[in-house]
Amino acid sequence: MKVILHDLDSGYDGLIASRCDRVIAADGKYAPCQGCFGCWTKHPAECFMKDALRQVCRVIGQADELVIVTKNLYGGYSAAVKNVLDRSIGTSTPFSTYRGKQMHHTLRYGKHGLWKVIVYGEITDTEKEAFRYLAERNAINDGFEKSQVLFIGDASELEGLL
Amino acid sequence: MKTVFINCSPKKRFCASAYFLFLQRLFVGGEKVTEKLRTPADNDRILGKLQGANAVVFGLPLYVDGIPSHVLRFMERMETYCKENGLRMSVYVIANNGFIEGKQNEPLMRTFENFCARSGLSWGGGVGIGGGVMLNVTRVLFVVQVGLLLLNTALSAVHTGNFFPVDAWISFGKSTAILLYFNLGVLFYLIRMGRFIRKGTPCGKKYTRILIPSFIFILFADIFFIVLSVFEGGIFRGWLAKKKVEER
Repeated sequence: MKVILHDLDSGYDGLIASRCDRVIAADGKYAPCQGCFGCWTKHPAECFMKDALRQVCRVIGQADELVIVTKNLYGGYSAAVKNVLDRSIGTSTPFSTYRGKQMHHTLRYGKHGLWKVIVYGEITDTEKEAFRYLAERNAINDGFEKSQVLFIGDASELEGLL
Repeated sequence: MKTVFINCSPKKRFCASAYFLFLQRLFVGGEKVTEKLRTPADNDRILGKLQGANAVVFGLPLYVDGIPSHVLRFMERMETYCKENGLRMSVYVIANNGFIEGKQNEPLMRTFENFCARSGLSWGGGVGIGGGVMLNVTRVLFVVQVGLLLLNTALSAVHTGNFFPVDAWISFGKSTAILLYFNLGVLFYLIRMGRFIRKGTPCGKKYTRILIPSFIFILFADIFFIVLSVFEGGIFRGWLAKKKVEER
């Protein structure tokens, strides 16, 4: 299953929907993660907040390929996209293991394929380097085999990259 | 000299970030202001406190290898605010994560460094801490030890008239020494960063952790979550199952 998580406006809805099996629109209206661990210890793979992100970890967890389209913010994801990622830690379990010679949580849904990030907006070379490192760390943490980061000046250049 | 400490944990109470900021405050002089950033409703109040500040110390947990989203929103506001008001303070960071390696905070540190470059602020550096949750538990254990000491002293006074039970004090000393040992790496780097904050100079990025072997840490972490999941009931609700999306 291919999943696209994006923070684009509704003008891109048709394009995005035609390129994947599932869309997660990060519209910036969701509540942030409260750090309660409830999606691990109380109601597994489900957030206590009853909004559209309540089971978002189940969608991301079952993705073979995750494509994230995000505006650059200090060499990382936009706050709206990061909000969704923060709410998706139920993709893993509370148990710990070693991956990439470091401690991580075991994966609820097993290994995945590609963690692909398409970054739009103005960005410096230092921020590009930080973003590549961040995506690499995300891929290890979430059990993706590899990461890829592409930089485009404007979201209108997106079409051939999804 | 004015330093603003911002506790960015979304938790209402008992957060590791508050513990580390408390320790850091001990090693910084001058005027100290502590604020809690939990929701966007806190943004304007905290921005107002930045006026006249020489340094800002962010204390926050690592979320998905980066900065929690509500803090990113605040940073966007802070960038604009600092530019509009010509603020030029130094930014320091105390980041903690639940894994044992403090180095896992590196992506978060880089984001703060880029934020400073964009905002015209001075990047002061930070301390990345591994095993934050477990270190936070040590402060509770210390309070428990103090309670036990007081209880033993009271019992000794009532039963024997001795107000200084040596055995109880030796036991308290041993337990406190162990707890202190777990925190030594953190204390060392926070004392060091405190010196740089006082001088207003950059201290670089340093990483430390709770001082116990990794495999023991993992064992305790697993036990912690098993116990928590029993009490909260998750262990009986498909704890490790591959849950499917419920279409509504």
